[in-house]
Amino acid sequence: MTEHTEAPTVGMGGIRDVVSIRLPAVSAYLSVLRTATAGLAARLDFTLDEIEDLRIAVDEACAMLLTQAVPGTDLTAEFELTGQEMQVRVEVSTVGSSPPKRDEFAWMVLTALADDVDAVTDSPDRMAIVLRKRRGAARPA
Amino acid sequence: MDLKLDHHSEDRLTIVEVEGEIDVYTAPRLRELLIDLVNKGNFHLLVNMEKVDFLDSTGLGVLVGGLKRVRAHDGSLELVCTQERILKIFRITGLTKVFGIYASVEEAKEAHGRDK
Repeated sequence: MTEHTEAPTVGMGGIRDVVSIRLPAVSAYLSVLRTATAGLAARLDFTLDEIEDLRIAVDEACAMLLTQAVPGTDLTAEFELTGQEMQVRVEVSTVGSSPPKRDEFAWMVLTALADDVDAVTDSPDRMAIVLRKRRGAARPA
Repeated sequence: MDLKLDHHSEDRLTIVEVEGEIDVYTAPRLRELLIDLVNKGNFHLLVNMEKVDFLDSTGLGVLVGGLKRVRAHDGSLELVCTQERILKIFRITGLTKVFGIYASVEEAKEAHGRDK
């Protein structure tokens, strides 16, 4: 593919470059979300390694949330693209909410691959994980 | 891409061929296969991950669970993996120190033969 398009940045003409995806909160749909993540990261000219990191990070965040999601509800993913960074907020409906266990493999992988990770657990019936990855931000593997 | 699983035995070693994506959706199938193999007396497992396109922490958990099971029978669970993007996940979690990881099935078989 030779076509090259620069992703618009926030503030350009007041446009927020945001993509929202709503999926059933079941694990069968995670591969769809990973594919979407890779496609959006490619839009920002992330390197192949960075795209793979994001794909895994979003997968890990969702896998953690799915264990607490209310059956029959949806998982929402909001991707916000700026020129240099992608922010992904994944969210599910819960009954009660407990913070992620920091010693779990999932959290270790997620925090190693994303540049910033926040777990949002202040709502009694929602839980979200927000992760950010910057293009070209060198991090030790 | 779904997950394809196959296995065959060579001497005392059971080689598990894994192809596709190991995530929270597909990992239970790998877990069931490893449990089944151990229950049938296969205690030396070699998991070939050369055709794995995706691995997350759920897959790691399944492999660690399999390792615990075979170790309870003085067995082994080792891996064949050369893909950097997969090895990275093992490094992040410190599991490169837990699993024997080989570059090829042949190399693993040779090492296994020496340990007999």
